[in-house]
Amino acid sequence: MNYFAGLDIGSTAIKVVFVDENGKLAGEHVTATGSLFYKNAKEAFETLLTKMALQREQVRYLIATGYGRKLFKDADDSISEITANGIGAHEAGRAFGGVGTIINIGGQDSKAIRIDSHGGVTNFVMNDKCAAGTGRFLDVAARNLEIGLEELGDYHFKAVAGPLDINSTCTVFAESEIIGLLANGHGKGEIISGIHNSIAKRTVRLAKKVGLDDRVYFDGGPALNKGLVAAIEEELGRELVVPEHPQTTTAFGAAILARSEFLAESAERRAEKVEAQAQAALVEAAKSASCGPQCGSGACGAHAG
Amino acid sequence: MNGPLNSGKPVVPEPSPQSADAARRARTPKEPLPFGKTKQAREAEKVLNHIVDDFDDNPKAMEYFYNLFRRVYCRGETIAPDGPLIGTTCIQAPEELIYAMGATPVRLCNGSYHYDQIGAEFMPSKSCSLVKATLGMLTSENPVPRVGKLDLVVNPTTCDQKKKASAMMQDMGHAVFDLELPNVKESEASRVYWQRSVRAFAEEIRKVTSKKLTRKNLKAALARTQRAEKAFRVLDGFRKASPSIFLGKDAFLVVNAYFFDNLDIWCEAVERLNDELKIRYDNAVRAAQKKAPRIVFTGSPPIFPNLKLPLLIERAGGVVVSDETCSANRMLYDMTAVDEWLVNDMVDSLADKYLKPCTCPIFTKNDDRRRRLLELVKKFEADGIVYQAFAGCQVYEMEQRSIAKTLDENGIPMLYVETDYSPDDEGQLSTRVEAFLESIKTRKRMRH
Repeated sequence: MNYFAGLDIGSTAIKVVFVDENGKLAGEHVTATGSLFYKNAKEAFETLLTKMALQREQVRYLIATGYGRKLFKDADDSISEITANGIGAHEAGRAFGGVGTIINIGGQDSKAIRIDSHGGVTNFVMNDKCAAGTGRFLDVAARNLEIGLEELGDYHFKAVAGPLDINSTCTVFAESEIIGLLANGHGKGEIISGIHNSIAKRTVRLAKKVGLDDRVYFDGGPALNKGLVAAIEEELGRELVVPEHPQTTTAFGAAILARSEFLAESAERRAEKVEAQAQAALVEAAKSASCGPQCGSGACGAHAG
Repeated sequence: MNGPLNSGKPVVPEPSPQSADAARRARTPKEPLPFGKTKQAREAEKVLNHIVDDFDDNPKAMEYFYNLFRRVYCRGETIAPDGPLIGTTCIQAPEELIYAMGATPVRLCNGSYHYDQIGAEFMPSKSCSLVKATLGMLTSENPVPRVGKLDLVVNPTTCDQKKKASAMMQDMGHAVFDLELPNVKESEASRVYWQRSVRAFAEEIRKVTSKKLTRKNLKAALARTQRAEKAFRVLDGFRKASPSIFLGKDAFLVVNAYFFDNLDIWCEAVERLNDELKIRYDNAVRAAQKKAPRIVFTGSPPIFPNLKLPLLIERAGGVVVSDETCSANRMLYDMTAVDEWLVNDMVDSLADKYLKPCTCPIFTKNDDRRRRLLELVKKFEADGIVYQAFAGCQVYEMEQRSIAKTLDENGIPMLYVETDYSPDDEGQLSTRVEAFLESIKTRKRMRH
């Protein structure tokens, strides 16, 4: 069996996805990016190979995406994470009846993407040079509140007094605002739901810029946070489509693309082969025609076969 | 290659006992950095290397421009003007009048991040990089281009930031003339107002040069600038070729050189370039792939060394085939239409040329800009538009909405980028640019 790989080297996490010959998700692996991301990316890829008991040769095509895509020279090709995200969400969104708008929150940026009925990107916006409303923002908040990143979702629903207003849009200022709120004796639940609301507001504003489809797909690591999902849904006024594996949608898209690139290249090679054969046949025919009707003897050898 | 501070030994006054310490400090001569080691020279060098080395097979005639920027920006060569030197802070200052009365114009609009940081102290935190860099350059000990002493600075009253920069330049010791530009372009009153401003400008130059504006010298000046405009039009025409034979990064550099280069030498260099491009065109020498997305660039002007965004586009496999910016196309595209060759009529025609076709967003209404963009997309068979707005450039930021709407209605994709001179967003920008080019390619594939 042949496999195709998508490798998404993000600012915070490295995501590897394999799809099979039918374009179905076959396996995935997520690990922290760290500082040695080439080494870590290579390791992540090999880990998934081992996990699935595959040989390197069985992965026929590898496309890299994400911030580290250019530096991963083992890849067959690279593509921007926006295009890959579009393809991945389009493919994963089929199960939900198709999606047209994507909200992605990553480690250091947030984006909204609009796709057409083929998964092609028609419009997108990204936050400008600022960590506000990104995964990093949540990271900082969790650290200030001395809780784990994965606990944020639960705390969101523990707010008794209703969410507090977090007015700062800057990550650094928000940090001091959070400390201020803690000092004033506010509960963690209220603060966290306030943070989620503040991110939701920014994110929805971004999504509105590209236009909202009936079904809005939400992916990226922070989509694992149920509290944030609830806050964005409230701000949007509708339910979000959150996939089972929100972190790997982009890597999945790159893997899907790897498969179609491989097929397109094979088809091209086949077409070239067929053309070469046709060309050879034509030369033969020309040869046989050149000896003319007066030949008839078969002595020239052109009529053999 | 030393800075201006290195002229002879400093004169040290006799030290009094109290200030012996201070005197010792003063006596140690402050050795200025060799020009090539300064931050601005290294910044320029780095960008120039990208412009030259990241692309194969640059036109031979571009060597003149690469060398010109090396000489002036990386080695600090001084520009020797003919007659008095008049700095301009915008393309709205009619340079023909400056040339006619025997002076030389130099455009001061600056693209250096280094000067942007120096100029930041004059401006509020979120303001235009271009204005900050221009002020920073004017107060720097090592200004590039090496303009030396300016006899006059002409500051057209365009956006608020440039307007208020006028007083700051005066405080720095420059003689500044405010060239009054109206806010509305269409009305007859503003036309008359502007013609009066241009005449006042002519009078101001006369005071600097002590030469009168005559029919003869203005006609000669017009002939010189029209040669430049003609050369530019020919160059512009070659950018229509598909596949492209000439890249946008070089086009920006050529017009950026016009800011400070000797007019006649610049014309010769562009004419040589045109001759070479003609041969390249005839031999179908490509500068980019056949399917490279063709981009029209609009918005805040790319000025060397800040060619960040055009370079990102072309390094990612797109081609900037045309632009609607005041650092390239808008600077040289339009020609003066003279009815009567009498001084006053010529000055009025000149004024019209500067006001009527201008598509700067400082005007209240700007339908012309939308029309111009649609025209450029059609003429250059472009696939999309990249819109750059310098953070803090309110007028370009505001006009984004109406431009986006018009382009959307016409099915033209646009990438809007808010940025400044700092290099720290290059990683993120390259992702956005690549995604934009990929989406254009997908769109094109779908159409076929």
